[in-house]
Amino acid sequence: MPSTVATASFNTLKREEIFRNPPKDKSAWPLLKQAVAPHVGSFNALMDGPDGGLLNLAVKDIGTKTVFDSNEVGRLGNKFNFRIAEVQITKPAVSAKDKTTVNRRVFPSECRERMSSYRSRLILKFAWSVNDGPEQFEYREAGTVPIMLASNRCHLENMSPADMVAHKEESEELGGYFVVNGIEKLIRLLIVQRRNHPMAIIRPSFVGRGASYSHFGVQIRSVRPDQTSQTNVLHYLNDGNVTFRFAWRKNEYLIPVVMILKALIETNDREIFDGIVGTETSNSFLTDRLELLLRTYKSYNLYLKQDTLAYLGDKFRIVFGATPDVSDIDVGKEVLQRIVLVHLKDNKEKFRTLLFMVRKLYALVAGDCCPDNPDAAQHQEILLGGFLYGMIIKEKIDEYLQGFKAQVTSDVNRKMAVNFEDKKYISKVFMKINENIGQKLQYFLSTGNLVSQSGLDLQQVSGYTVVAEKINFHRFISHFRMVHRGSFFAQLKTTTVRKLLPESWGFLCPVHTPDGSPCGLLNHLAHKCIIKTSASDVSHLPTILKQLGVGSPDMLAAGPSKCCVQLDGQIMGWTSHENARRVADVLRYWKVEGGHNIPTDLEIGLVPLSHGGQYPGLFLFSQSARMVRPVKYLPLDKEDFVGPFEQPYMNIAVTPDEITSDIHSHVEFSPTNILSILANMTPFSDFNQSPRNMYQCQMGKQTMGTPGTATVHRSDNKIYRLQSGQSPIVRANLYDEYGLDSFPNGTNAVVAVISYTGYDMDDAMILNKSSHERGFGYGSVYKVEKVDLSQKRRRGDPITCHFGFGQDSWPEQWRETLDADGLPIIGARLQEGDPIAAYFDETLGKTKVMLYKSHETAYVEEVKLLGDDAGENELQNLTVKLRITRSPIIGDKFSSRHGQKGVCSQKWGAVDLPFTETGMQPDIIINPHAFPSRMTIGMFVESLAGKAGALHGMAHDATPWKFTEENTAANYFGEQLKEAGYNYHGNEPMYSGVTGEELRCDIYIGLVYYQRLRHMVNDKFQVRSTGPVNSLTMQPVKGRKRSGGIRVGEMERDAFIGHGTAFLLQDRLLNCSDYTQVNVCTDCGSLLTPQSTVPRIGAQSKIRCRRCATKLVPGGPFEEGQLWEDGQGTKFVGGENTSTIAIPFVLKYLDSELAAMGIKMRFNVEPK
Amino acid sequence: MNKESFNVSNTSNVSAAVAGLNVHKSYGVRYICASCAAKVTLSRNDPVRCKECGHRVLYKERTRRMVQFEAR
Repeated sequence: MPSTVATASFNTLKREEIFRNPPKDKSAWPLLKQAVAPHVGSFNALMDGPDGGLLNLAVKDIGTKTVFDSNEVGRLGNKFNFRIAEVQITKPAVSAKDKTTVNRRVFPSECRERMSSYRSRLILKFAWSVNDGPEQFEYREAGTVPIMLASNRCHLENMSPADMVAHKEESEELGGYFVVNGIEKLIRLLIVQRRNHPMAIIRPSFVGRGASYSHFGVQIRSVRPDQTSQTNVLHYLNDGNVTFRFAWRKNEYLIPVVMILKALIETNDREIFDGIVGTETSNSFLTDRLELLLRTYKSYNLYLKQDTLAYLGDKFRIVFGATPDVSDIDVGKEVLQRIVLVHLKDNKEKFRTLLFMVRKLYALVAGDCCPDNPDAAQHQEILLGGFLYGMIIKEKIDEYLQGFKAQVTSDVNRKMAVNFEDKKYISKVFMKINENIGQKLQYFLSTGNLVSQSGLDLQQVSGYTVVAEKINFHRFISHFRMVHRGSFFAQLKTTTVRKLLPESWGFLCPVHTPDGSPCGLLNHLAHKCIIKTSASDVSHLPTILKQLGVGSPDMLAAGPSKCCVQLDGQIMGWTSHENARRVADVLRYWKVEGGHNIPTDLEIGLVPLSHGGQYPGLFLFSQSARMVRPVKYLPLDKEDFVGPFEQPYMNIAVTPDEITSDIHSHVEFSPTNILSILANMTPFSDFNQSPRNMYQCQMGKQTMGTPGTATVHRSDNKIYRLQSGQSPIVRANLYDEYGLDSFPNGTNAVVAVISYTGYDMDDAMILNKSSHERGFGYGSVYKVEKVDLSQKRRRGDPITCHFGFGQDSWPEQWRETLDADGLPIIGARLQEGDPIAAYFDETLGKTKVMLYKSHETAYVEEVKLLGDDAGENELQNLTVKLRITRSPIIGDKFSSRHGQKGVCSQKWGAVDLPFTETGMQPDIIINPHAFPSRMTIGMFVESLAGKAGALHGMAHDATPWKFTEENTAANYFGEQLKEAGYNYHGNEPMYSGVTGEELRCDIYIGLVYYQRLRHMVNDKFQVRSTGPVNSLTMQPVKGRKRSGGIRVGEMERDAFIGHGTAFLLQDRLLNCSDYTQVNVCTDCGSLLTPQSTVPRIGAQSKIRCRRCATKLVPGGPFEEGQLWEDGQGTKFVGGENTSTIAIPFVLKYLDSELAAMGIKMRFNVEPK
Repeated sequence: MNKESFNVSNTSNVSAAVAGLNVHKSYGVRYICASCAAKVTLSRNDPVRCKECGHRVLYKERTRRMVQFEAR
């Protein structure tokens, strides 16, 4: 191999061209759009797709509600049926009240600047009929709902980069989030149980459900077409019985499973027996339990379907709020339709699947199959943001209809005129109910709290949304790839949920998870992992299965000895296990080949027959919310998509070398496909100890980098920006595919690994002062201050404060930073206490100013005047963007891309730094001790590669797993160094900058890409000598913001005691805290009674104990000089034995508190 | 500057409105429309609106004064 061939490219010209002329057709980085596709796709599915999108399916599922206009017993009155016939969401536009705006469309950039929400109108088509007459319609406005950016309800959808720039967005604006009150929020992806697949579970908490409950269960999360779900659980009772459990509106209900079975279809015991036992009649474990199951049910005396339905309907009439005109049978049917296996439409199908579940439960109890692991990706799917949003909208629409019904009912009860025929009455009801669904969604997005009647079949009520922080682009893009396990699991003491399981290979990144409390719960998707947002077309599958020899679902078959073929939780038929393998293989061949009407992303989960393993069967999945990933199918050499359910039973070679014939069916396109976007950016991560790669994934997200290019149009509270960002010399090729050069995140630095001055101890690093002066790591922080005068008055009150100066007199120096309009001069330097805006307060008749409060000097960057929604009021609201310069100083944090962070300990003058024979000086010096224990060999390799790249003027590919034992990285880059006339190993002789002598050993020096982290001393340092104190205890306050102190707590105190540092202890705990001098009466020992006397003319005030003194009796005897007078003019004699002592002030406070309780404290003071 | 700028009493406003006059002068500070980049001048009580396109966000123009700081 020729040693100096570029393996990566800077693409400088291409990048510059794209930067200057953003493409007018499509993005140059399609992978970025794919990264947020799960979010945008799921939101699009709300309004797009079969049957008018998920929302229209949802209103269909809600159905018709009924209310009567009479509450008399025995008379129903007029019947009023109502439902939502249709849901529409418009695109964001200015309100109809606004008459002056030319462009009616509202773009997200305006919402970010104005701190408003990007939302559009939700329109419900309300349909009603009276006494089953003709249906009437009315369109109702249900408020404005926040809209996901770049979705099909957003103006940015399908815009080219050039258009994006024209609309003040990033050229690569990805969307996928919402703008709520100017803050970018996204709904985070949540891991939930895989839909429509019964899962065998052993859970000790099941025992607590009731008497004789065992820990065995079979759980299925059934998902309706509108993506809402209902979980059904079968419980095994110790006597062999099975109960069906479900939760409805947060209440749990238990029903004998046989009752459900008998209610579903007209059936008999024989059919149930056959459906569960099949041909295994000699299995006495099964037959015994079946006998008991069927016998115990006899006590209900329900034999016919109608009887059972009526029984169920009677019990659930109240729960389902059924009106009196509905028969018990119909209520029973509704229970089955809304609760039992809601993913299936047909009752016969539900019956079959329920039998399958019962059998799986018995198999679990008998030990014929093992429990399924709910923490494994195999049994998981992703709850997508858009789907959750749709579920909430559905619930709110349902509540809206309930509210309508409740209003009519209360009108009837209050004997008000209820006339369904009168349109005026209908609109009067609308007036009284809360129609603002949009506001509730805005609340959901801004707080992340789920307010719900049903709980939406989810395990948590809060933490659904996060702010999409734009600290740098890496962090921003990571938000969209983040998958959370659910906050319920965060409290769990056990760590099993956090474990990295092999099932998640290729779906969840093994590296990219934070350390600390969210470790293993907050994962990130592997960069090639796709989440389906729509169901695939599987309408041809039943015929194909039949052709392949899958028998009818009605045949006499049950249990693990036969192979059950299921498609999305629906039993398609039965076949032998041998044939099932053939069916699976053929299906896979056909789906990859194409042209057989089988979607490529169909998941063909063949679970083979085993001894006590997972319950066997052929489980096909085609619906949305699944994770899939591309791999190469070897027989056809084409792309296939595999899912986490099938993957454990497949043989996928990681590299082409390891393909073994008759074993492997697939091969990975690249081994890096298992890593997340960020984990892929760590150069040579295969050389590092794995925790170091985790740390880098964290630190990459805390880097002061480039948040974007449209920062002028943003008003984030705080934005970090690195001024001197560079394209890394050493980068993975994926770096270019994701277009990360648009958002540089660090600087290439010459790094010498040497212990030089002693200032590089303990992860400190020395910065070259000359590099620093040339702008190495220079950054700025942009802060936005909001000035809102409307907060000075109540809503609806007239405006009394106006920006600008009044005619009263005010300090002339205010005009140094403020213009005539009362707003800051752009470019002005602000220091603590400088005015940031001036306004005239009419009520006081005074000009007032808002002050800049931070102690850091800032420069005014932008001033934005924000109009109100209607656009009729004068200026009340503005934002001032301030730039705070953050040149690197001692104490700022830096890191390489290998989890090697350090703090700048000194800026060392260039004259005193060591230099090489070519005259190079390091930009950064780090200590060699940073390496042995951390084993970040990748950093050495990066240093070599960076040096070789710099010498030959080219970029180097740093994709992991490219080098082997035979073809080592050290040799590859060593040869390049040699060719450039440098040491093969990367060491160089260096000379001391102080003495000019050659150092005794060669120093490892090369180029490493360094990140500047956002943790800076200026935001952290806390010092105090004196300062504010708490007025009650006179002790120093806490908190950096209030210039408080740092507490010397119990443990610190223990250390002082242990060291015998009594003076230090006293200094910390008393002298520097609440040291006070107080007067004490040496006679009675009280702190509270000594007081100052009113001084007599020519004399000093004295301290006297009021308690020990005696009141002067008029005309009584007294000695001159002993007489004293208090503030009220009362004269006393005596009490002169007082003294001054030093105590902590809290002691006096304690004494006062005790005195209030009637307890006296006495201090024996010596000497008297 | 400050002497001429502010009118506290609302009565003069009313009379001015009756006369169909706008007595308020602008400060000579110009703003830039965030949407169409038109130069806008606002006088007191004017709604925050671009005169050309009706956009609701205005940027303040950079000062024409010299801005100079000591380098250290």
